[in-house]
Amino acid sequence: MKIKKGFVLRDVCGEQVIMGEGIGALDFGRLLCLNETAAWLWTQSELQGDFSVESLADALCEEYDVERDDALKDVALIVDEWKKVNVVE
Amino acid sequence: MAKKYYIVAEHLFSVDVNDEMFVQMENYEPFAVENVDSISESDVSFSLSIECGINVEYVEETRQDEEGQIIVCGHTVKNQSTFEFILNGLSMGTLLCSPDYKTATIYLAEETSKGANRFAVNNAIMVLYALATARYGTALFHAAVVTYRERGYLFLGKSGTGKSTHARLWLRYNEGSELLNDDNPVVRFFENGAVAKVYGSPWSGKTPCYKNQEFLIGGFVLLEQAPYNKISRLRGVSAYAALLPSISGKRWDKVIADGLHYTENALASHVPVWYLECLPDEAAAKICCEAIT
Repeated sequence: MKIKKGFVLRDVCGEQVIMGEGIGALDFGRLLCLNETAAWLWTQSELQGDFSVESLADALCEEYDVERDDALKDVALIVDEWKKVNVVE
Repeated sequence: MAKKYYIVAEHLFSVDVNDEMFVQMENYEPFAVENVDSISESDVSFSLSIECGINVEYVEETRQDEEGQIIVCGHTVKNQSTFEFILNGLSMGTLLCSPDYKTATIYLAEETSKGANRFAVNNAIMVLYALATARYGTALFHAAVVTYRERGYLFLGKSGTGKSTHARLWLRYNEGSELLNDDNPVVRFFENGAVAKVYGSPWSGKTPCYKNQEFLIGGFVLLEQAPYNKISRLRGVSAYAALLPSISGKRWDKVIADGLHYTENALASHVPVWYLECLPDEAAAKICCEAIT
């Protein structure tokens, strides 16, 4: 999957927030606050372009000292949230 | 044709106008530059020319519809930005901009009324102003502004929420308050001293109130209709979210989006932002004034 066109991660008053700025994302009409892990994963998703729960979990394991099973669970939860609010496709 | 210079919120711009058009631009008079000799072209933020009767071909990107006033945003085959202004289903004109929005031409629709030309020129200048100044800590707000004890207070909210009504309640019940602008004030943030100011503008919706004045901002108030009066302070992301929908701009242009984000973030961090659930009554104006001034 990939991040839908027009969604960007910005620093808003010290918080990491996803907002819709591009054409097609203008109707998003909300700000989605991310915790530190989710924000890191979002940046990874942007770098990877076409990503999966597995590819993000791999990246997370490389960067941080986490078990792969835990990483998979965490990533799946966060990506589910993104699917729910429709910022990935 | 004559080139006229105007300064709005300390941004200088020029408009090429003929005499016929010029007499319809009395809302710009308080902002006119008297001493044109001292102007250096490098100080000009943007220049607008006015032409008649040429059809601009473009591809639509998106459109904004507010109470029958439609702005269609697009681009030409040469990738220049275009904005067509439509009122009650009739095209009033199309604005064609250079990529940095520093020069632009409004092509007025043929055989329309003088009022139509005025509508198109006003909209063209507003759009161009917002885009050309977005990267300089400047934002054109959709708000009603009152001044009270040397500070400006901006009332925000969706169309029909009662921004103008609340402003009027202030004028009536909070002694010493005055209307600065009823629809489109300009807000600027200055890094030096972290100061935010609100300025009157030549655009004030249905209320003719074109004041060339500036005030330090005392606060922003997001209004929402309710069967009671209650005011609370917004902070951080909530404050940012309250300001965001009140600023016009072409956010799918990254330079514009970055500029507006910078301004919104600075304002949300340095200026008090409030949320007022209110009735259209005296108590609302009093409670609000008590809390924010």
